[in-house]
Amino acid sequence: MTRRQKAIAFFVALCVLLVAAAVTLNITWIVINARRVTPLILGIILFAVIIAGLIIYTVFLVLEIKRNEEHESFINSITHELKTPIASIRLYLETLQSRHMSDDQRREFYGVMLADAERLHRTVDQVLKAGMAAQKPRILARASVDMAMLARECVDLALLRHHLQAGAIDLETHDDGPLVVRGDAEELRTVVTNLLDNAVKYSPDTVRVSVSVAAPAPHTVWLRVQDRGVGIPRKQLKRIFNRFYRVQARGPKSVKGTGLGLYIVRSIARAHGGRVFAHSEGEGRGSTFTLELPRLAS
Amino acid sequence: MSRILIVEDEQHIADGLCFNLEAEGHHASVAADGETALQWILEERRVFDGVILDVMLPGKDGFAVASELRRRGQYVPILILTARGRAEDVLRGFESGADDYLPKPFELAILIARLNGLLRRRRWNEQETPVAEISAIRPADTFAFAGRTLDFAAMEVHAAGKSYQLTLMECELLRYLVKNAGQPVSRRAILEDVWGLDESTDTRAIDNFIVRLRRYIEDRPASPRFLQTIRGVGYKFVAEP
Repeated sequence: MTRRQKAIAFFVALCVLLVAAAVTLNITWIVINARRVTPLILGIILFAVIIAGLIIYTVFLVLEIKRNEEHESFINSITHELKTPIASIRLYLETLQSRHMSDDQRREFYGVMLADAERLHRTVDQVLKAGMAAQKPRILARASVDMAMLARECVDLALLRHHLQAGAIDLETHDDGPLVVRGDAEELRTVVTNLLDNAVKYSPDTVRVSVSVAAPAPHTVWLRVQDRGVGIPRKQLKRIFNRFYRVQARGPKSVKGTGLGLYIVRSIARAHGGRVFAHSEGEGRGSTFTLELPRLAS
Repeated sequence: MSRILIVEDEQHIADGLCFNLEAEGHHASVAADGETALQWILEERRVFDGVILDVMLPGKDGFAVASELRRRGQYVPILILTARGRAEDVLRGFESGADDYLPKPFELAILIARLNGLLRRRRWNEQETPVAEISAIRPADTFAFAGRTLDFAAMEVHAAGKSYQLTLMECELLRYLVKNAGQPVSRRAILEDVWGLDESTDTRAIDNFIVRLRRYIEDRPASPRFLQTIRGVGYKFVAEP
């Protein structure tokens, strides 16, 4: 049991005791004032208010403790995500500066440093985007965006970025007409890229991700990203979109991140009048993310 | 040549460290998570002269790995190398049994110097030095007082019928305090002379070591008789209070 879990257990127990005490007092009050109507009713109402207040207070406290915990884990992961690539770049620069090595080795080190710079850039980008996502109202550059084409671009980019074979992410389009939505292409690209990055990140060593773009109803466009990775416990399917929330690491594979990706996805989806939801058969059985946007009438 | 174990899940950093340690003439092995490191050291009995340990690892974190090693009687020098540099993290690192702590990003030269310091200390501990020389520069390898025996060679404390195994730095700190018995030593002096640090390292890290040493040699660690705190200065070891 962590310190926080102990704190939560303590406050819940305290609440139960206080409620029990209030109920006992209430019953006593009813017995004593059985024949006097005004104090009886007044007393019952006041006790009910006290009990409700206690429960609300405790629920609020427990939620705050949990939020605080998420915030702290965010600070830890963001520290890690920012400092690790910096540490790596610095280590390689110092190595290049102080040691003799072959040209091949040198080129390899430059490659490592570029990859770290890219990782750092992505993290900084996410933090900035999450900051923007929290702002309201959002200003979007609205234009017609063909989701099938946008998905194609993002899939190609993801294959390149994660060094994957062409077949690792397949893309299907299920409609004859153009699947066009009205929105900000840059932001929508962020959504699809974040979903693809997650699908790859939480996949086993052999990545198999399917992306499909379809119109389940005349006025809706769906973009689905399905992976065969670690999956998500049912209880956490909604919470994963919260800011800073991350499913506790399980299994041998290290998966690190900021806890901001899906929060950004959700806020962009909402700003476009759409939504995003997750589905999973359970742990180890993959997960499916669906982005639903209003279709632009052609 | 020393055998160094790098416990690090960030491939790039692990490779970079490996390259540099090999260039320094050491032999480096990389474990990508804590379980593997424990498996190698505790089950397969692989011998390392030093461990560079990351904290944020998949599965068991670095703190848990360090405590587990110490709990199972493994006293290989551990240097924690992590992005978590807050005071409470540093304290937790020392509490879990690490001998040194360096936050990322780090300076390569400093890392190597500190690692070499730990390796050197280990070699000195293993070396047999003539008795005359020992008494000239430090107390003999055993020291007895008030029914307790400190065995610096075996890194053990025998007190009240019990034996405690000391970590490398616990042993060195105790040796230093005994050497200066009767006179107060400042936290800064301890940091400089025992750890070889002269920067603005958090001197409170020492307090955790003192707390542990008191558990070994004091009857009531809360009101210490032998290992006294000198307010505003540091600590004093007294053999016959």
